[in-house]
Amino acid sequence: MKRVLRKILGAAALGVTATAAFADYPERPINMVIPYGAGGATDISARSISAPLGEAVGKPLVMVNITGAGGATGSVTIQNASADGYKMLFARVGSHSVSPAMKAALPYTLDDFRFVTVYEINPVACAVTPASGITSMEALVAKAKEGGVSYSSSGVGSLPHLAAVMVMDEFGVENPLQSVTHIPQKGGGGAATAVLNGTVTFLCTNSSSLAGFVANGQLVPLLVTTAEPVVGFDAPTSVDLGKPELQKLVGWTGIAGPDDLPDDVAAKWGVWMQAATDDPKFRDTMETRGSVIDLMSPQEADAFIQGQYDSFRALVDKLGMRIEG
Amino acid sequence: MSFSDSILAGLSLVANFESFLSLFIGVAVGTVAGAIPGMSATMAVALALPFTFSMTPITGILLLLGVYKGGIFGGSIPAILIKTPGTPASSATILDGYPLAEKGQAGKALGMALWASCTADLISNLSLILFAGWLASFALSFGPPEFFALILFSLTIIAGVSGESLLRGALSALLGLLLATIGLDLIYGTNRFTFGNPNMMGGLNFIAVLIGLFAIPEIIAMVWDPKAHEGKTRRLGEDRVTFQDYKSSFRSIVRGSFIGVFLGSIPGIGAAPSAFLSYSEARRKSKNKANFGHGEVEGVAAAEAGNNGVAGATLIPLLALGVPGDVITAIILGAFMVHGLQPGPMMFVMNSDIIYGLFVGLIVSSVFLFLIGSVAIKGFKYVAEIPRGVLFPGVMVLCIYGVFAVNNNLFDVGVMFAMGWVGYFMARFDVPTAPFLIAFVLGPLLEDSFRQSMLMSGSSPAVLFRGPICWFFWGLTCITVFAIIRSGARAARQSKKTEFVRQTP
Repeated sequence: MKRVLRKILGAAALGVTATAAFADYPERPINMVIPYGAGGATDISARSISAPLGEAVGKPLVMVNITGAGGATGSVTIQNASADGYKMLFARVGSHSVSPAMKAALPYTLDDFRFVTVYEINPVACAVTPASGITSMEALVAKAKEGGVSYSSSGVGSLPHLAAVMVMDEFGVENPLQSVTHIPQKGGGGAATAVLNGTVTFLCTNSSSLAGFVANGQLVPLLVTTAEPVVGFDAPTSVDLGKPELQKLVGWTGIAGPDDLPDDVAAKWGVWMQAATDDPKFRDTMETRGSVIDLMSPQEADAFIQGQYDSFRALVDKLGMRIEG
Repeated sequence: MSFSDSILAGLSLVANFESFLSLFIGVAVGTVAGAIPGMSATMAVALALPFTFSMTPITGILLLLGVYKGGIFGGSIPAILIKTPGTPASSATILDGYPLAEKGQAGKALGMALWASCTADLISNLSLILFAGWLASFALSFGPPEFFALILFSLTIIAGVSGESLLRGALSALLGLLLATIGLDLIYGTNRFTFGNPNMMGGLNFIAVLIGLFAIPEIIAMVWDPKAHEGKTRRLGEDRVTFQDYKSSFRSIVRGSFIGVFLGSIPGIGAAPSAFLSYSEARRKSKNKANFGHGEVEGVAAAEAGNNGVAGATLIPLLALGVPGDVITAIILGAFMVHGLQPGPMMFVMNSDIIYGLFVGLIVSSVFLFLIGSVAIKGFKYVAEIPRGVLFPGVMVLCIYGVFAVNNNLFDVGVMFAMGWVGYFMARFDVPTAPFLIAFVLGPLLEDSFRQSMLMSGSSPAVLFRGPICWFFWGLTCITVFAIIRSGARAARQSKKTEFVRQTP
């Protein structure tokens, strides 16, 4: 009896210290995992926000790149991390909505994470080279229906992979998996090179990755997926083209913890992110790159990611794109 | 604006204390980081990136370029002294650098590495400035079929680094190819040999494999037989590189530099294959062919020229096309973008002052590299005199730290030790490790480009012969394979003549 009592007391004491710990959270530096390599869209976004965010948090943020397998390697480290809020992840569209929708063998699902925010949205644009002679989506789609059209991506299960299929599907290309060839490359740089050197016909990816080529006249944009036009991209929006469903096709960056992350930790992140995204320098850096800063609360982020996942998953199931094994 | 106007505009942008200071700091930091095993040039550049956000564009980018150049050279220091490549690019330097250090000529090897590096760096920078446009259009004509032909040719290097037995070299290469298949399949996205372990989904970490293969076997051998090296002292003495050495290796250095420039300007190859190709070409052309692999100073020169020749040339696709050729230039591209600059043809028009400022900075960086490298050699060469019993535990700690730091993953440390045992047994059975490494680097490139070509053509192999570049490399491959077979046959005949008893299979 005594032993049981002691156990209960002990548990109660632990409970008290646990809540006390979260009240004082953070007491030490927080590890932030970036699941993609240095210099990429996720890395730059994460490192740009780390300065104002660190100020808001009041403790140092230790940024670590853990790369590999399209963001899966880094994401797994957070899936298995203890939910004390000292190890968080920069989640990205590729690792947290396209890959889960496409890969059956992925070691995690969306339910393994708790999203505390999504703070950045990247419009997606489709582009071709001027040498291809294609100047509009209509021409591209007509050519795709004839056959012989191909597209590049930064790998299987990446945003450009799904984006091209989704665009083709929306524009009525029947059976886009067979009629349009996917030639995957290693990484975003390779994907862009493949369009430039004529290996593939087109590429749909973050407008920020294409902005340089568009500004330099090396690529011609055909479409942006947002409802609003994108600065520097002289191309119709998804609304102009009457394909509002494509508005779901955007890139994003957010922050996530393991699924059992306590509410008060998530709430704190909401406050910190508000302060961090108000920083004018951060906004300026991101907006020159073509990103839209759109801060979401934990609930909004969850709904947004789940919504995007559901529509991607529906497409994947409809076309039989899911990768087993 | 004329060329001289552009240069002047560029000069006015860089000719200030901060720019040169940041370049100097960059080269110094890079050299030290490169000299730490496991701390690759890529990691050093990645770590330096956030510091550039608050600088002016030119200062920030010069800092990154300095770190890059310093890192590539710095990697040769541990390669020569402790048989541990500081960066993947310096693995070819081990082949002759470490035997030289064993012979007590570490000073000579390090000196030659520095001279070759600086010469190649200068040639590479000048190529960037003079031929950027031409080389960029050359790089753009490299689609998957051309890539495939080039990599196929590069695989013939294996014959050059196999040592005594081609069969053993091929065995080693096969093992490398096999291990390179681990990870996600590029085309289908399915798992290959991952055994359900998420850590293996990204493939085996290259740095872990590299360090495991080269550094750990030495340590295991030391533990196995701690007294083996007693009596053989590794003295440094006053041994240093002479102008005569430099002159006799000059042809190899220039050849290596241009190999570096060509391979560097093609996105996606990187410095390690270039170093190996330069090394094997130097060996093929050399009179002292037999001495390669046993401490030939020309081998060090060729390898270092090959990898430093890449350093300026990788900026060609970056600046002229806006395409990053490897991870380091991807990071530098990120730095450009943070500052709102978009590398590409228009940048030469819109921001020509920045471009020419970078050119001026690059030329100066070769000089800084020489100065800092000389100092670094003076400091680091005493590592060769540290008794092994003290040195090796330190090396082991650095290796573990370095491999862990790449991805903050303990699994990689396990990979390193597993590869260490593989390397140890390879050494015991006289199986050379260099072919393993080359196959491990080139194998995935060969496979990916082949499969991409097949996707392009709808599985028709004719695409592999689609243009003059393809024909050129196919031709080279045929000639090289023929030469290897002929020299093999000749060697077999000769050994039959001289040794009646010996039976050749």
